[in-house]
Amino acid sequence: MNSNDAIFAQLATLGSSLVLLFGIALLWRRSLSAYVRAFRWQSLALALTFALIGYFGHNRELYIVAAILVVLKVIVIPGYLTRLYERVGGKREAQPYVNIATSLIIAGLLVLLSYAITRPLVTVSKLPTRNGIPLAVGLILIGVFVIISRRKALSQIIGFLVLENGVALLAALGTYGIPLIVELGVFLDVLMGFLVMQILVYQIKDTFESIDVEQLSRLRH
Amino acid sequence: MKFLLLLLPSLVSALCAYVVRPYRATVGWLNALLSLLSLGAALAFAGHAARGAEAPVFGPGELLRADGLSALLMVCVTAASTLTLFLSPGVGTETKYTQAQLRRYQLLINLFIFSMLSAVSSNNVAIMWVALEATTIISALLIPLTRSKSSVEASWKYILIGSVGIALAFAGTVLGYFDFVALTGRAENALNWPVLLQNAPAMHPEVMKLAFVFLLVGYGTKAGIAPMHTWKPDAYGEAPPALAALMSSALFAVAMYAILRWKVVADAAIKDHYADNLLLALGLLSLAIAAFSVAQSRNYKRMLAYSSVEHTGLICFGLGLGAAGVFAALLHLVNHTTAKSLMFFLAGDIERKYESAAIKQVRGLLKVAPWTGGLFAAGLLALVGLPPFGLFISEFALFRAGFAQQHPWLMGAALLLLLVAFVSFITRLNGMLYGEAPAEVGAGETAGWRVAPMLLGLLVLVALGLTLPAPLDTLLDQIVRIVSR
Repeated sequence: MNSNDAIFAQLATLGSSLVLLFGIALLWRRSLSAYVRAFRWQSLALALTFALIGYFGHNRELYIVAAILVVLKVIVIPGYLTRLYERVGGKREAQPYVNIATSLIIAGLLVLLSYAITRPLVTVSKLPTRNGIPLAVGLILIGVFVIISRRKALSQIIGFLVLENGVALLAALGTYGIPLIVELGVFLDVLMGFLVMQILVYQIKDTFESIDVEQLSRLRH
Repeated sequence: MKFLLLLLPSLVSALCAYVVRPYRATVGWLNALLSLLSLGAALAFAGHAARGAEAPVFGPGELLRADGLSALLMVCVTAASTLTLFLSPGVGTETKYTQAQLRRYQLLINLFIFSMLSAVSSNNVAIMWVALEATTIISALLIPLTRSKSSVEASWKYILIGSVGIALAFAGTVLGYFDFVALTGRAENALNWPVLLQNAPAMHPEVMKLAFVFLLVGYGTKAGIAPMHTWKPDAYGEAPPALAALMSSALFAVAMYAILRWKVVADAAIKDHYADNLLLALGLLSLAIAAFSVAQSRNYKRMLAYSSVEHTGLICFGLGLGAAGVFAALLHLVNHTTAKSLMFFLAGDIERKYESAAIKQVRGLLKVAPWTGGLFAAGLLALVGLPPFGLFISEFALFRAGFAQQHPWLMGAALLLLLVAFVSFITRLNGMLYGEAPAEVGAGETAGWRVAPMLLGLLVLVALGLTLPAPLDTLLDQIVRIVSR
């Protein structure tokens, strides 16, 4: 491994760690505005990691992807999210199903688990970015955990967006960028999916007069 | 050319629905007629594939491709869509929906059909993913068409579970592609299925195992394999009947198709029965959960959703049972698509008549509406696997494949679970068909002329139960040759 690769490896791990840390930040904050801020910073860290991989991996397409990421996930979606929680109220995740201390322990266990399941991947791979892969998978698992353990519909949306960031990070680390056309399709889907979720939150607010998903329990048997 | 004929009609229909405002019945009719073009194109592809010809490709980077497996799915999707569009609300019958709702319905349902067709004709497995994700988003918009509390709730649960699932499927796709990049560098068209398959034997089995788990969980969520099936009864129960019909028949088939595509690649890389065993385990779990959920169900739409979980389990079984099993599973997929696309329309008609989806509210159905009741009974008997319907034949073939593969205990357990579900279905059906109808429900059909297309679907099901048409037989043989080598 030459020195260039060594720097690349360290920077890639650093970037992935930052992305993961902002994901974990979701678990010890309670206000929805802090959630949105954490997501914004996470997306910025993700975009930087993309640009980094583009530079060292000699893939110019990744710069375009990083730019779209900044526009979409640092500016547009957090903007919508802020407007959403201002309009539907409910600024705090008052009582998540799992309390904060337990959430953090579970997050730690999930990261450990992701190290275990990605071991075959990390051992066979010769990519300089391979050490970031368990972190990306860890972030995916944490995203799922946020969705399961939080009660506000908005927190669940952010959980989903964090999960998407984890998948995007995995794609960049593992393959140095999937083909641009696919990436564009993915962005379109994320944006559409987010907008539809937002519409549904307004509908939940209209019909249930609250965005606490605890209320969504009419459907049984 | 045929690809355009397949894909464009649904786009044109969506555009028509968007432009014409307010909604008019002519748009509904026009869209239904346009869908016949897609059906024709799909049948042409199927005929082409059955002759064993080279799979046609289209577009830059061979974007679209129609081998036998794609062609079979195209026929399933277009047939179910055509039926759905002819039976749609606002097409020649009275409806409770407003003009604005009907316009939104026509727009979204056609976009939904378009994304399903894109998924099955796409050659690139990542584009296939993009199209499948689009189906989730569009259907989540369409489920709360009437904005009732329960439909909004169902839609929220559906989009959350569906989006998480599909994101995991994307992680799986990336992991499958990961090894490929490491092996060959960044090749052109590396995500195209034939290229993936060609290079699969050189991939690391361990990496592919991890990728396949992600893919199976992800697309399995879309297909509603237990334990990722929890959205199914909610979404099918609350969606407009036309959407429930399409989701339970066509969308389900497309999700199973995605699993099958990846299973072929995984098998080539892993070289043992890893994927088969996973499918058998999840299949058995689906059958068990379905059998016990049916026994508890109090709502006939949710009961039909659990029947879907049951058939998901059976098809997973088939896919895990070697060549003969795959043949049976695909035949079962065709039969199930035909049967399920009818059932939700009938359930919708029954609900309109009795103004309730509760099983115990529906009594004396055969007296109140003999055609609707008769068709519903026939469809349910077909779904539980009785002769002379097609599902009997495919289930028989499936179990024969299982016993031939030396899985007597597994197949025995499956048979037992089918029996449990059978008893629950029949008792519930009995309760609905006979007895005294509530006083406020007057006799008379609500289906009208729509009985005719539904009868046609039932006839297809009977025909498939009496004989296996030669073209279908050769097409399935061709597919089995592609997917199990």
